[in-house]
Order: sequence, then structure tokens, then C-alpha cells
Amino acid sequence: MAMVAEGVGTLQIHRISQPKYIDALRWLSPLSAFERFAVLALHDSDSDVSSIEIQALNRSNPSNLHLQSSWASPARISTLRVSQIPQKPLVAASTYMGSLHFLFTDPVDASLESELSLAEKSFHAGPISGIDLQGTGSECVSVGEDGRVNLVTIGDSKLNYRRVFDSHGLVSYTAAKWASPAEFATGGLGFSLQYWDQRKPGGAVSQFKGNWGRGNMSEIVHSIDIHPSRKHILLAGGSSGTVFAWDLRWQKQPVLLSGIVPGETVVSPSESEVWEVQFDCYMQSATIGNISSGQILPVMMCSEDGILAVIKQGEQPMEILAEPCAINSFDIDKQNPSDLLCSLEWESIVILSRQ
Amino acid sequence: MPGRMSDPSDSLVPFSPDVRDPVVYSLHHDLKAPISRLSISWSKGNCLRVSFFGKKSSNSSAEGSGNSNDQIGGKVVEVKLSSEDGEIDEAQKRRIAYGSVSPFALLQSRKNSMSLLSKMSMGSSTYHVEWWEHVMEYSKDINLLLGSPKPLPSPVIEDPKTVLKAMEKPTCLKAAWELMEIFYADKQSQAWLPESLVDWLADYDNLLSETGTTVYSKLVDLQKELVTLQAVEDNPKYWEGISSALAVGWLEIVVKLLRLHGSYQLDQLGNRETENGLVEAVAVLISKMPRIRTELAVGRLGECYKTKPDFVKAWEKWRGQITKLECSAFWVQCDHRQTREGLKNVLQIMLGNTNSLNTVTSHWIELYISHFLYVRPFTMGLESMYSLAQKCMQLKPTSSTHRLMGLLLGILGENTEVVLAECSRSFGPWMVAHAVELLTAGSKQAEILLHEERYNLGGISIEELHRLVYAQILSSHALTWQIAPIYLTSCTKQGMGLLEILLYKQPIQHNHLLLKSLEICRLYELDSISSNIMKIAGIHHWKHGKKGSGIFWLQQAQDEVRLNRIAQQLFDFVGKSISDESFKQWEGLIELLGSEARTVGGLEFLHKYRDFKKSLQQVQDGHITDAARQAVESLILLMKNPSTPQRFWLPLLHDSRTGPGIEAEKRGSLVKLLNWSEHPLLNISQTNLLLNKLQELSMAKLHPDFIEADLPPHALNSVRLALATNLGRAFLEE
Repeated sequence: MAMVAEGVGTLQIHRISQPKYIDALRWLSPLSAFERFAVLALHDSDSDVSSIEIQALNRSNPSNLHLQSSWASPARISTLRVSQIPQKPLVAASTYMGSLHFLFTDPVDASLESELSLAEKSFHAGPISGIDLQGTGSECVSVGEDGRVNLVTIGDSKLNYRRVFDSHGLVSYTAAKWASPAEFATGGLGFSLQYWDQRKPGGAVSQFKGNWGRGNMSEIVHSIDIHPSRKHILLAGGSSGTVFAWDLRWQKQPVLLSGIVPGETVVSPSESEVWEVQFDCYMQSATIGNISSGQILPVMMCSEDGILAVIKQGEQPMEILAEPCAINSFDIDKQNPSDLLCSLEWESIVILSRQ
Repeated sequence: MPGRMSDPSDSLVPFSPDVRDPVVYSLHHDLKAPISRLSISWSKGNCLRVSFFGKKSSNSSAEGSGNSNDQIGGKVVEVKLSSEDGEIDEAQKRRIAYGSVSPFALLQSRKNSMSLLSKMSMGSSTYHVEWWEHVMEYSKDINLLLGSPKPLPSPVIEDPKTVLKAMEKPTCLKAAWELMEIFYADKQSQAWLPESLVDWLADYDNLLSETGTTVYSKLVDLQKELVTLQAVEDNPKYWEGISSALAVGWLEIVVKLLRLHGSYQLDQLGNRETENGLVEAVAVLISKMPRIRTELAVGRLGECYKTKPDFVKAWEKWRGQITKLECSAFWVQCDHRQTREGLKNVLQIMLGNTNSLNTVTSHWIELYISHFLYVRPFTMGLESMYSLAQKCMQLKPTSSTHRLMGLLLGILGENTEVVLAECSRSFGPWMVAHAVELLTAGSKQAEILLHEERYNLGGISIEELHRLVYAQILSSHALTWQIAPIYLTSCTKQGMGLLEILLYKQPIQHNHLLLKSLEICRLYELDSISSNIMKIAGIHHWKHGKKGSGIFWLQQAQDEVRLNRIAQQLFDFVGKSISDESFKQWEGLIELLGSEARTVGGLEFLHKYRDFKKSLQQVQDGHITDAARQAVESLILLMKNPSTPQRFWLPLLHDSRTGPGIEAEKRGSLVKLLNWSEHPLLNISQTNLLLNKLQELSMAKLHPDFIEADLPPHALNSVRLALATNLGRAFLEE
């Protein structure tokens, strides 16, 4: 019960309209203690121009954003990642055109310092659907609908990439996430998950196919997360309100956390596409001890039907926001996990602070 | 649009037959003349896409030589047609569109449940009382979207001489909405319409300043001078400002201005005592002006009276006090001429002297409002309000009618069509689609007019027409199309048809957008459309080499016909190119197909083939007997299955022996299976089945349509030989 009470605490909500569509957003936490930054991938529908903007947030008045730096992207941005090392703030963005861009920013004021791009035709054919930066920010995995899995090594002045796998379009990937310096996971159509180990080339080391037999409902994984302390558990969110965890140690039985599945008695906060999932590290220190290693840590998800909620295994989901339009992405501030950032379909962002 | 092209004379759609001056855009296409062809089409939003095709060069060998400009065969230019309304930019318009979705949807759902209730023969009187409250709530929600007057950042120390607060300029759209709200939605203000208009003008008089002088613009000028003036009362503009502000009922400003009068200054108080007494007496009288209204906001002056008798009593008394002051002997003792005259004029305004009112007001609506305040506070009913407006307009004619005034006259004239036309002409489709709710709530007559199905509109009502028009505008933009369904589904006649068209038009290349369309299908239970969209997506992905995605979407759509077609193509692919290395790539696809008995069409074959391959692989890896047995099982299943195409039989039987790889003997082969050292793996009936299939195949070879497998010529014989040997061994075994 204590956990529920914590969650019900007050919530500060700031809505900020952007005159542009937000394709993706992330927190950027620099060394500075006074300022925080939000990285927004924007698309201006009137001029058809895409850009990445770094906006500074005032800690005392979060609704007061001011533009810190901006970078024009050659195409619409499909995924945005930020390295979590404050000394080396690095923004990675993939585009629908198949190019990958790395922006190096100043650790204090988040101004743009340099940019490296990878836009070769042989890299990806068509849109890149998922990327993830490794913890140290030295490697980036990228996957696409073309069925390619690439690893990009980020040097100081140049990028190198190598192909890990190419299914020649027979399999499309939609999401990617690092588990350890050598292992990463990908997700795709049909609620499929793949676990890869760089040390074992030639293909995925484990595969999972979600099979909840629900007729003609789409089944696509949109987002994967892996908690750094439990790299054997893959968390995935996708179509029809589905959020599930796949434990590599018990491969046959995924844990369904949310979703409409005949015969399952899981309460689902949403019935439509779950666009993003992340482990919710807020208030965890107090309760983490109570969660056995077999149990799934609290999960936050956002959905097409406008729900932002926290799901805890075996408990009623806790709704944080219910919007009249889709919540397309969100991010939890890793340094300050009470703070959230969401992007709404209706050209606005929401800054939330849980207290 | 639905409906036939109608004669403009009997058209209900606001449509002006007289064409305005055409707008000429000049486009630069950098093409050499002559242009052979020109194509014009709509792009997204208000963009027009113009494609120019140059004349095909007769000298085709010129390629590669000459400058590159010569080779441009055509050019596409996008022309952005700007909307007429400059006061609200596109992003702000979208914000209003987004924000109005929830209030609109809420009102519609309430309307639906209300009509359900009334069908169940509930008391209709309670229905009406509650209904206008819902409409009012809707109106307030929409009004909020149109912006709230924000004070501009003001200096920390307020200048005592600031009479006009600097405000952000409101929009005409908001002013128009509030007019509609006052007259149609707010049933409580019906008894106090004149006072509501007084408040309305106080908020929006500055909008009228665009076209001419107004009280507001006079006060702005005065404000600028006030800062520099020493003795304000010597300046006639000061008195003009006071009189004008008083005429339109801005009592706070008047009192504030009066108290800037020089006689209030401490060093002058001694010798201007009488003068100051007069100024103060007028200020007090003004601040005690009786108003026939329920309440006044904090800081507003005047005394409210809710009922007419109370008001009349107070009004007579107040006027009595004014007359008394006017006849007072103190005026003679007042030496300051400007003050004396100015104050006397103020009193004349308060007594409702029409000449004075006429001189101090500028715009006809200001004169109109001053009549409500000081001449005819009991004006009731739209008819008398309308005739008063006519009179005021005659007294103060304007060269052009401001769009707000056009709307107001339409409302006062009680002509729903005119109101609708004014809304549409001046404020656009958003306004009409949303204001119709207020109009229908306004009167039964308007409701009938707007809900009546009309032949000349193709059988739809005016309400539906305007919703459809607005939905079309939403549909034309990539960011707003998702809210169009809310409006379309509220249109009973044509809405669903247009929604289907809208959904089919959406791009399907990216899963994100595709899923957003499918979500709308799910919400409105449009299963057949959703499966059609998935089919389109499936074919798109398949064509673009994303075989996995293609199959996935076709499976979702349960499109057996196409899946079977695809299966045929896949077989060719499998037969030709699957080496053991490339089979790894197929794994994922086969995984996707799933093992469940879902529609997979002929693709089921691939699944079994994979099992067979896997077992063979294991035989080679050394997991001998069990794997070999499994391989045989799979093979028999494959051969028995009707979905396995005939042309695959021989490659299957022969498969691994001389497959695409070269090191045949390394692999487990059928021949190896057949020659299994320990005991025969195939029993008699299984062997017979395979032999029969071979026989069938030999017969089929004679058929002209037969497709020869890409195998060495002796393949058939070597398989037959192996089978025959096995048959012999099996006989011995049994």
C-alpha cells in the first residue's frame, strides 16, 4: 500500500505548445546543476524541415523553455538517443532516410560542438527504425525494416560501421537496446524479440515470438528496455496495449504486464499501440529490496490513446496522464527520476514532476 | 462535395457568384520555353503543386554534353496559397483545432445521450434547462482556447497616470465567438443583453480602431499626452477623453482621469476648493451609477440591481441627484472654465442628452452602447435593439462594415442564414462548424433550419454541410487529419463515406502512420477498411523488398489469395537460393509465420521445410538416429501435404544430396537417410508413397506446363534407385 500512496503524491504538469510536430524527445543532463536540457526532434509541417533543438529548462519555472542550439536534419528523425554520461553528452539520431547522426555537445551549456554523420547507401536501405547508444557512448546499434543490424563505432572524428546481420528484408526490426557492452536486444513484427551477442556472430543467440493468438490485431514491438541490473530481462511494449517481459532464463514463458489477451486477467491501461516503455526508476530505492529478482521492476509506458501509466507486476496500473491525443514518446530523467518529459500528437510537450 | 451544383440564387451555401479580383502569382520555373504540358494538383494543406514539362528535346544525342540546365525536362513548383486571415497564424489555428476536439466531442456525446433520454419520454422541460448549460460549458471551453487577454509585462512601479492597461491585442475570432455566446448560449444574460454588450465593447473596442477613430484610440492618444501634461484640466483632450469613456461606460477610467484633475494637488487644494468639490461630486455620482445586471467584476464601478422596479427606483434617484448638482449654485463659484464646461458636459452625458452622446462617440456601436447606458436602459428584445442599431448607423455611417459589425447586425436581425454566412465569410469553416452548436441552442427555429435535410445539398442538413467542410480542411493537413474523424462521425449522412476515403488516402509506408490509421479503424469498428489498408501496406512492403513486413501485414489482413501468390514466388526463391548459410536469414521469417494454425496460405510449406532442414542439419552434426527419424517424419509430412507444390517434390527428395551447396556428401542427404546403416528409416508404405510421388512426377513431366527443377539430369534416377533399395531393405526388416 505504501507504494500506491507514494504514487498518488502531487504532480506538477506543464504543457508547452510547440508550433512543430515532435518526432522524439530526450532529457539531456549535463554537468551544470542549475540548468537542464531537453533534446527535441522536430518536424515543421509547413516548411517540411526537420531539426533537432536543444532547449534549456529553468529548474524553478519549467514552462519557460529557451532555445540553446539547433541542428538541421536532412530528413525526419525516427529515433533519438542520448548518452547518459554527463562528461560526454552525445545525441544520436536516426532518420527515415536511413542516415545516422551524432551530435557532440558541450557538457556545461549543451551547445553543439561537432557532428558526425553516416549516410551511405550501403548502411541502411530505407528508414532506420531503432538505435541505441551503448553506456559509454562509443558504440551504437542500429536496426531497420530492411532487416539490417549494424554496429557503429563512434570515434573522435570518424564513424565506422560493420554489419552484424542482414536478413535481406525477410525480417524487419523495429527497436534495439543494449544489455551489456557485448550484448543487445532487438524487436520486430509478430511480437518477436532477438538477443544478440557480438562474441557469437552469425545470428541472434536467442529468439522469442509472442504468440497470444488474437486474430487480426497487429503485433509489433515498438520499444524495448533492459534494466542495467537485470540484463537477462527484456521489457517490450507494442501493439494492442501489450507490455511484456521476456526473461532469458525462462524463455518459454513471457510475463504479460499489460494487454488484451483472451484468457489472461491482466488489467491493461491502454488498448492501442504502446509507443514506448521504460523501467521506472522513481522511488525504487525504497522498494527495490522488496522486489524479488524474479519480479519485474515497475514499468512506465505511453500509448496512442493518450495514456501515460506506471505498471507494477500484480498491481493495478497507475495512470499519470490521460490525454485526448496520442502520447508518442516520453523520457524519464535518469539523474532525477521524478521528472518526466512527454511529447503529444498535438504539437506539444508536457513536463511532469512527481513529488 | 455532395450535392449537385446549384444555382447561386437558391444556394444555401455561402457562395458569392461575383468573382473577386483574381490573385496573380508569378512562378519561376527556369525552364526554356516552350512548356509543353502543365499539371496542377493539390499538395498537402494549402499547397498547390504545379508541374512544368518542357518540350522534349528533339536532339536526344545532346545528352552528356552542354550544361546541365539543358537536360532538365521539367520542374515541380509548390505554391503556398496564404489564407486571408492574417490575425491567426497556421500553428495557432491548429492549436485551436486540437483544443476544440474535446469540447465538441463531449457536447456531441451529451447530445446523443440526451436524445436517447428524450426518446424514453422524459420530461422535455428539464431537458431544455440542462441543455443550454451544456452548451454554455462548451462555449466557455472554446472561448478559453481563443486566448485570454494577457496583460503585457508592465513596469514594476505603476505609473499613477496609467489609465489604460496595456493588453495584448485580442483577436476578432474571440470577439465574434463571445458575441455568439452572449446572444445564443448564455440564457442567463438574456435579460441583461445591453449590459453584456457594454462589457463586450469594453474588451474589443480596440479591434474597431483598425478602421477608424474609436473611444479606445482617443484614450490611447490621451494616455501618451498625459505623461507630459502638467495641468491636465487645461487640455480639451482630457475632457474629451473623460466624456468619451463615460459614454461607453468605462466608469473606472473616467473616475481615474477625474482624479488626475489639478485641483486634487495638495498645493492647489486651498484655492480650488469648490472646483475640487464639483469634480469629486461628479466622480462619486459616476461611481454610484445604477446598473441593471446581476454583478460586476471586482474593481468595476456602479451599483447592481437585479430587478427592474429596484433599478427604476435607483435610476430615478440617481438622475435626481445629477439634476440637483446641475442646478447647484457652486458652478458660479468655479473659476476654471474648462472644468466647468467639461463637468457640465459629463452631466449631460449622464442625463442621456443625445446630442452630447453623439458628439463624444466615434463609431456607431459606441453611440449604440451609450444609448443603452444613458437613454434606454430598458431596451429589450432583439427587434428594438435592431431598430436602435439602425438608427445609430444612420447617425454615424461608416464607409466599410467591420466583420464584427456584420455579424452583430446579422444576430440582431434574427436571421440565422445571415449569421451563418457572416461567420463563414469572415471567420472561416472552424467558426461555422463550432458556432452551429450555439445557433441551434439559440432557438427552435434555428434548430429546425439547420437540421433540416435539404435536397439542394444532396440530402444533408446545413449543420452537416458545415461540419463536412471543416472536416475536409482538417483532412488536408498531415497533422490535423487525425481529428477529422471526430467531426465526420458526427455527420450521419455523408460522414462515414468520407471517413473511409480519408483513411484510404493516408500514407502506409511507415508503420507509425499506418498504425495510427488502423487505430482510427479500430475505434470506429471499420474492420473491412482496416484489413484493406493492411493489404495495401502488405503489398507495398513486399514490392519494396521487405518480404517479412509484406507477409506480416497480409497475414494480419488474412489475405489468403495474396499470401498464396506470394508463396509461389517464395518457392522459386527457396528452390534457387537457399543454401544452409542463407537459411539463417529465413529463420526469422519462418518464426514470424508462426506455428499456429493461422492463415499462412501456402507458406505453411516453408515452416515444414524448415523443420526438415533442421533435422538434416542435426544428422550432419552427429545427433544421429533421432534426428534422422525426425527428418524422415518431416519429409513424409511435406510430401503428403497438398500445399507443397509439385515442382518441389524432386528437389525435396534430392535436396541435400546435390543441393545448391557443393559439398554434398558432408550433409545429411536423403540418400544417406535411405541408406541408413542400422536399419531402414522408411517403412514400406512410406517408401511406396515417395515412389508414387516420383511416378506422378514422371507423368507430369510430359505435360507442357511442367516446370523443370534446376537439378542435374540424373537426379530423378538416383532418387528412384535409393528408394528402391530402401524398399528392399524395408521388406527384409518387416
